[in-house]
Amino acid sequence: MTGEAWDGDDETAAGRFVPLYVLVNGRTSPRDTNLDLATQVIAVPVDSSRLEPEYLQILGRCGGWISIAEIGAYLHIPLTIVKVMVDVLLEQGYLDSGAPAQHKVVDMRLLNAVLAGLERL
Amino acid sequence: MNRTSVKIVIAGGFGTGKTTLVSSVSEITPLTTEELLTSASVGIDDVTGVESKTHTTVALDFGRITISPDVVLYLFGTPGQDRFWFMWDELAEGAVGAIVLVDTRRLDTSFPAVDYFERRGIPFVAAVNQFFGECEYTDDEIRSAMELGAEVPLVWLDARDRASSKLALIALVRHAMSRLPQAA
Repeated sequence: MTGEAWDGDDETAAGRFVPLYVLVNGRTSPRDTNLDLATQVIAVPVDSSRLEPEYLQILGRCGGWISIAEIGAYLHIPLTIVKVMVDVLLEQGYLDSGAPAQHKVVDMRLLNAVLAGLERL
Repeated sequence: MNRTSVKIVIAGGFGTGKTTLVSSVSEITPLTTEELLTSASVGIDDVTGVESKTHTTVALDFGRITISPDVVLYLFGTPGQDRFWFMWDELAEGAVGAIVLVDTRRLDTSFPAVDYFERRGIPFVAAVNQFFGECEYTDDEIRSAMELGAEVPLVWLDARDRASSKLALIALVRHAMSRLPQAA
């Protein structure tokens, strides 16, 4: 239906045949507001064969821990869209997420770990 | 420890060496990701997806440093142009702090960044990037010109040099630690 009303010429070059807003059901922000561009996610080993290719593409990048910003960079998807798509995958149990990067209180233990890591560089 | 991300913001005016600094310490070649200029247009106006992509996105450069098996540090360069302030909030939210790069030939280009972090109480260090050549100013002159608070560390670095950039990051983390209530 959407395809008929939509002149896809411009999209062919980008290799994208479904409007991005359709993929995310018109959502403009993730349900989980803790999702940050530095939040890391990892694929859960479940059957993902029913997912749309755009979602599979994201899952394909999540074999190891990876941040939302990295997914966006590798797949050339704007951050706003990646965030919503990752949120959908989290909600449906295809992805797990690590601790949000938006630490309300950055604790001393974490800063000590960062300091030690930097000193080892 | 849960898989944890830590952010540090690399700020400063256009051309002060933000991406250079990220490159010199990142374990990956810096990546570029894009953000839509207005999220409202995602669901409403943007009926053909990314058709006008080049006009509606802002690019962000970032790098990463694996700190430990559970902790990864992400370094995000701020977009160069001031009109992309809306992105700064997302970058700064929950960040350990920021390095504000300073080019002594154009101190004023870093004023907005200093102002931004000061207003929000986000720890930052001012880092004078020396790859632009000899600097004839003293610490005090730069502090005074930039109206830096006495508690704000001022460091000198060469953003192309890994060891030098690393020291600036360490100075920032120490500064952030000193501001925690637990710190004696």
